[in-house]
Amino acid sequence: MATPIATAALSASVYAPGDQMLLTITYSDADTKPLTVTIVVTDAQGNSSAPVKVAAVIDPLTVTVTDDSGRTWNRVSDNGAVAVYRAVA
Amino acid sequence: MPRVTVQVRDAAGHTATATADYELRQPVLGGYYLSGGADPTADMAGGNFRSLTQYRSFADGYVFPGYNRPWLIDLGKAGVQMNMVLELKHYGAPNAGPQSFRVDVTDYTVPAPSMTIQQRPGTTWPKAYGYGQVLRGQCDGLLHRALAQYRFLGFGVNIQLASELDTDHEFGTTEDGKAYTWAESDARAVQAMNYILTWFKARTLPPNTTFSVGVAGFDRACFQRTHPEPLMSRLDFLQWNVYATAVGQTALSRFRRTKDWAAADLGPVALSRPAIIAEWGVRSAEIPDQPAWIATVPAAIAQLNAERGPRIARTNYFNSGWGTLSPKSAGLAALRTAYATRPYV
Repeated sequence: MATPIATAALSASVYAPGDQMLLTITYSDADTKPLTVTIVVTDAQGNSSAPVKVAAVIDPLTVTVTDDSGRTWNRVSDNGAVAVYRAVA
Repeated sequence: MPRVTVQVRDAAGHTATATADYELRQPVLGGYYLSGGADPTADMAGGNFRSLTQYRSFADGYVFPGYNRPWLIDLGKAGVQMNMVLELKHYGAPNAGPQSFRVDVTDYTVPAPSMTIQQRPGTTWPKAYGYGQVLRGQCDGLLHRALAQYRFLGFGVNIQLASELDTDHEFGTTEDGKAYTWAESDARAVQAMNYILTWFKARTLPPNTTFSVGVAGFDRACFQRTHPEPLMSRLDFLQWNVYATAVGQTALSRFRRTKDWAAADLGPVALSRPAIIAEWGVRSAEIPDQPAWIATVPAAIAQLNAERGPRIARTNYFNSGWGTLSPKSAGLAALRTAYATRPYV
């Protein structure tokens, strides 16, 4: 299995108290593949159901964010490749 | 500096880690000065006043906290950051002659001040201890006397050496009968400031002691001459003063002027130092609506601090001279409102 890669970028290097802080995380893993499983159920008489599609991810990644000042970061969005977190300075 | 750490982990436990550091900017400290070095406690009460400028002459036997100024100790212990302007300038009578005194177990005799400054034609030129006198060690007793008092103060202060070197030197100086040009005076002052810094830094100072040198900041060449990198490496702050004295002068343009010169002319050490605005004010003769002008200051400071160059860390309103608040109540109310506004909170 491959090792994931990640980068983290803040919206600024210096914040004033009360400012919104945004953290953008870009991440990926060579093993991580989205795929679609299509299921068709067929009975003994050969009758088949309508196909059902299910999305799945091979080797999904989990993202954790910690802050050594104790600040709480909340997830704003995450599409599996780019995640955005928000905190208040 | 806080650090945020991101960890990305796959199903097999392989991880990737990324970090990003950030800095939290402290609020700008809103400050004050009341005419005559008078007790500002009542004016500051209930407002977000966190900084104060005071002026003392090294010639005075009472530098810290000053003669009859117990309130300075109360304010300092309450967390108000003190910018103590210590001047070689002699404030005049009664003791313009030589002084003999004892500090701890050392007896000193300091000669009479031998320099004249602020040599504006048609005025009486004030006396000051000469840069030559400082460099010859003849003023060591004055430094020692101030330090001995400072050690009993109970908190650290910023020591601003000189009030405005540019104002002092604008028309040249004279020491021991020899005349020096503005530029020559600046060079001699830098040597004397270095001597005083060396003297203080060789001794035990109260925690949180910082240093700066004083300028009005109205002359670009002088500002550059008085901020060489070797001197700045021994100072903690830049400093200049800001006044609006003509119709149409905005807060942004006035606070910006000296900062822009600094950013363009000074070296990286100087630009790493935050700035103290020891005095700022708006003159009511030309700009009668002082409260309206004061109300524009927070946004101006916020904008300047978002730009390249030294960060303005403290701004002390000078309720005296050009800055005299008239009427005082309206001016003070405007100051309170301004200091309750970002970037002051």
